[in-house]
Amino acid sequence: METATRTDSLTLRRHPPGDLAMWVFILAELLVFGIFFAAYAFARSAHPELFDRYQANLDRTGGLVNTLLLITGSYFAVRAVAAIRKGATAACQRWMVAALTAGAAFLVVKGGELVGHYSEGVRLSSNTFYMFYLSLTVFHYMHVIMGMVILAAVAAKARAGAYSVDEHTGVETGAAYWHMVDLVWLILFPLVYVMR
Amino acid sequence: MEAIRHLSRPGPTAIWLLLLALTGLTYAAGELHLTGPPWVFGVLAIVLVKGRLIAWHYMELARVAPLWRAVLGGWLVAVGGLIAAAFLLSEV
Repeated sequence: METATRTDSLTLRRHPPGDLAMWVFILAELLVFGIFFAAYAFARSAHPELFDRYQANLDRTGGLVNTLLLITGSYFAVRAVAAIRKGATAACQRWMVAALTAGAAFLVVKGGELVGHYSEGVRLSSNTFYMFYLSLTVFHYMHVIMGMVILAAVAAKARAGAYSVDEHTGVETGAAYWHMVDLVWLILFPLVYVMR
Repeated sequence: MEAIRHLSRPGPTAIWLLLLALTGLTYAAGELHLTGPPWVFGVLAIVLVKGRLIAWHYMELARVAPLWRAVLGGWLVAVGGLIAAAFLLSEV
C-alpha cells in the first residue's frame, strides 16, 4: 500500500485534464452559481411559506428524470475520455453522441416544464419564488445548450480523426465543462425542488 | 493489495450507479414531504457526497495537485454551509 501511495503521489498532475483556460472559466461559473444558490436560500429564509407553497407546483418527477439524464450524460463523457486515451476514436465519438443525446433529452424535459409554467401564466414577475426558479433554471438551461455545442464540436472533431492517444485535450476539456453543468444541477435540484 | 486499491477507487460505472441511487434518496425525501433541519442536513449531506464523487472521480481531481481539491471541495462546503445557514434562519 505504501508503495502504491508513493507512486500515486508522484503521478499527480499539476492541473485537471483539459485546457487550463477552461478550468478557470469553470471556476468562475461555479462562483456565479454558488452566489445564485445562496441568494435563493436567503431569499427563501425571508419568505419560507411562499417558497414552500409554490415549490409544491413544480414537477419534481421531471426534475428527477433530468438529474438522472445529466448524471448519465456525465458518465458517457467519462467513457468518451477513457476511449480516446486508449486510441478508440470511433468509441469516443459514440460516447460523445450518447452524452449529447442525454443533454437533448434534458432540454426536452426541462423545456416542456418551462412551457407548462408559461402557459399557466408564470412569469419572472409572478413572485419572488418564481423569479428565482425561472432565473436559476433558465440560466442553467443555457449552460446545458453551451455544453452541448462544445460536445458536438468535440464529437465532430473525433469523427474527423483530430484526436489520438497522445493529443486529446479537446475531449477532456469538453468533458470537464459537461461535468460542471452536471455538478451545478446536483445542487440546484434538491435546493429548488426538494428542500423545504 | 490490488483488490484494496480497486475498492478504494471505484470505477466510473460504480460511481454512476451510486449517483443514481443517491438521487433516488433525494427524490424520496421530497416525495415524503420530509421537512425540518435534520432532513435539510441529510439532503445537503447527499449533495456533498454526490458533488465530491463528480469532482474527484469524473473531473479527476483525485489525481491532481491538492490545491484543486481544496478549491472545489471548499466551494462545495461553502455553498452547502450557506444553504444550511439560510434554512436554519428560516426556522427561527
